[in-house]
Amino acid sequence: MSIDGQTTTGPESGTPAEAPAPRLRRAIIVGGNRIPFARAGGAYAKSSNQDMLTAALDGLIARFGLQDERIGEVAAGAVLKHSRDFNLTREAVLGSALSPETPAYDLQQACATGLETVVGLSNKIKLGQIESGIAGGVDSASDAPVVVSEGLREVILDLSRAKSVPQRLQILSRLRPKDLAPLAPGTSEPRTGLSMGEHQALTTSQWKISREAQDELALDSHRNLGSAYDAGFFDDLITPYRGLTRDGNLRPDTSLDKLAGLKPVFGKNLGADATMTAGNSTPLTDGASTVLLASEEWADARDLPKLAAVVDAEAAAVDFVHGKDGLLMAPVFAVPRLLARQGLSPADIDFFEIHEAFASTVLSMLAAWEDEEFGRTRLGLDGAFGKIDRSRLNVNGSSLAAGHPFAATGGRIVASLAKTLHAKANAEGRPVRGLVSVCAAGGLGVAAILESL
Amino acid sequence: MMPPQPVILGEMPSLSKLYVNAAAQAARRRLLGTHDGSDLPAESHEVRGVRVDVGNLTAYQHLIGESASDVLPAGFIHALSFPLAISLMNRDDFPLPLLGMIHLRNSVEQRSPLLFTDLMDITAHVENLRGHRAGTQVDVVSEVRRAGSADTCWRGVSTYLAKGVFLPGIDKPSAAPARADFKAPDPTALWQLGVDTGRAYAAVSGDFNPIHLSVLSAKALGMRRSIAHGMYLASRALADVGAVRGDSFTWEVDFEAPVFLPCRVALDISSVQGSAGTWERSEFTAWNPRSGRRHFSGSVALL
Repeated sequence: MSIDGQTTTGPESGTPAEAPAPRLRRAIIVGGNRIPFARAGGAYAKSSNQDMLTAALDGLIARFGLQDERIGEVAAGAVLKHSRDFNLTREAVLGSALSPETPAYDLQQACATGLETVVGLSNKIKLGQIESGIAGGVDSASDAPVVVSEGLREVILDLSRAKSVPQRLQILSRLRPKDLAPLAPGTSEPRTGLSMGEHQALTTSQWKISREAQDELALDSHRNLGSAYDAGFFDDLITPYRGLTRDGNLRPDTSLDKLAGLKPVFGKNLGADATMTAGNSTPLTDGASTVLLASEEWADARDLPKLAAVVDAEAAAVDFVHGKDGLLMAPVFAVPRLLARQGLSPADIDFFEIHEAFASTVLSMLAAWEDEEFGRTRLGLDGAFGKIDRSRLNVNGSSLAAGHPFAATGGRIVASLAKTLHAKANAEGRPVRGLVSVCAAGGLGVAAILESL
Repeated sequence: MMPPQPVILGEMPSLSKLYVNAAAQAARRRLLGTHDGSDLPAESHEVRGVRVDVGNLTAYQHLIGESASDVLPAGFIHALSFPLAISLMNRDDFPLPLLGMIHLRNSVEQRSPLLFTDLMDITAHVENLRGHRAGTQVDVVSEVRRAGSADTCWRGVSTYLAKGVFLPGIDKPSAAPARADFKAPDPTALWQLGVDTGRAYAAVSGDFNPIHLSVLSAKALGMRRSIAHGMYLASRALADVGAVRGDSFTWEVDFEAPVFLPCRVALDISSVQGSAGTWERSEFTAWNPRSGRRHFSGSVALL
């Protein structure tokens, strides 16, 4: 076990690896539904988080005949969330065709929110606490909450506590014109002041990821997503909304030449080689996604499909604040720990779904896993974690092409991967495994293993 | 020789009165000729039973990025003792002009934590008057104890330069100390400092030195724009190091190019592990991301 590495020996340092208790029952994925993702300021510019989550939920309800059904629990969340949406998921449930007696809770773990709702509800199903669950997420970069300045906020709060007119006047006299300017939500990491793109630019330069490699990954993402649409893959995964039937960001006809013509947008002021463009970074996006989870009994009783089981999951975090690891590199540690606990190696995984926050995020992760020294000193392995077969990576496109409405990305990936696993297992007559990895702000990452049924 | 008895002040002196007094003193010295002594006042100044305003503490902690705990941040204690330090430099027998002094260096030992509920005895004295290639420098030493206790919990040494002032009998070092060429590393943080940064820190620290407040007030004192307080920058770097520093630590900073407001400051803050794999110290360097000039650098280390 290395001193400053994150070893594969267990969920926390010093805890021995142990497989989950075998007596737990399975949590399965019945299916999913999302609305097409729209570029910020586009088709969903005026739709709220609650609007979009309800739309995705209603599509799921219609697809699986869940009208008036009392679901065990619905869990969803949004990263950019207004304080009035303190009960966003419950309000979406009340606005949907589900039974109003369906409980719900909100969850927030930056971009890992959607995947974490899947993990949390599957665990409840495995434990027998619930028979069914709907996991989901939504985000709007267009309808983002705008905040008043600290000065105005303090004045308003102090005013509400004031007891006399002179007190109120005294408090009001503290207001300055600049206090009246509203603040849009920032994209900077609170502790470093660097934006996510600037953080990734540092990681990109550290792992020497080339511009060409990033553009190629972006091109693959668009081509794979375009082919999946053309093949009808999303016909039972998406409900059109506000005139959109496909993701608004998808450019199936883009080319390496077009991508190569774009100017770098991140890393320009950091002294690092600037290679990250609008083409190989995900755009700000609006959208929502949902996943229906259940016990096998519950699905069988309703004659619903059983696509895949949620096998196991692992969260990780990195010390990015002082540059020990890159902001978005936590899955680099989560995935080896998860596979080790399940006794698996990268070769045992048929499909990798690595969220494309930026093309270089995926490529930096792959580079770290292929690095002998990193494997030894940071992952506590005998050598490199391993090479990921690129033909198994993001086979139906990922966030670079689809867009990334932060909390909605986990649900998009889980539903698509479950369907892919199910189809492959049917075609080959053997169990098929997939791995999901999502990086998130704050140096967080969550990974999960799904297995075909 | 026994040191002279300290001068005990009834309360913490008012910084604004001290600054006004310093301006009057500067005018007086211009009229009557400069002070010609080369000796520092031997007496220390002391204030007993200093109490912290918790609202002010919270505002300070929020501004600097410290979590609002009940422990006084080391930089907050500096601000608390600062008027006493200024009162020494404001004495008629202090040989250097207070206005225009440049803060070169700061070195703090936080030996044990002080809580906001603690009453404090604060002592300050000046020492070590010495030459600098650009003038004359001096150390102001402040010590903070829990009221009635003999143990120093916090000790700070601030080094100031009176630029262009050369006192008789004090040799000027012949050459500038070699300063290694600075090449900016990859930053770990980026601070956006607004034009009101100086005013915001003045409000929580009480240091309303005009060079920090606005373009106009700074120009009146010969600066082209207002500059950030050095201790604001150093305190933010200390906050960024975070909880790993523990309750007792040393905190040192060397100031170089001033930070003109508004601006962006790039930082590299990295920690150094000891042989046992535990934290030994954190080092920080800040520079202007556009010009590459270094603003300040320093460290926080195990005491």
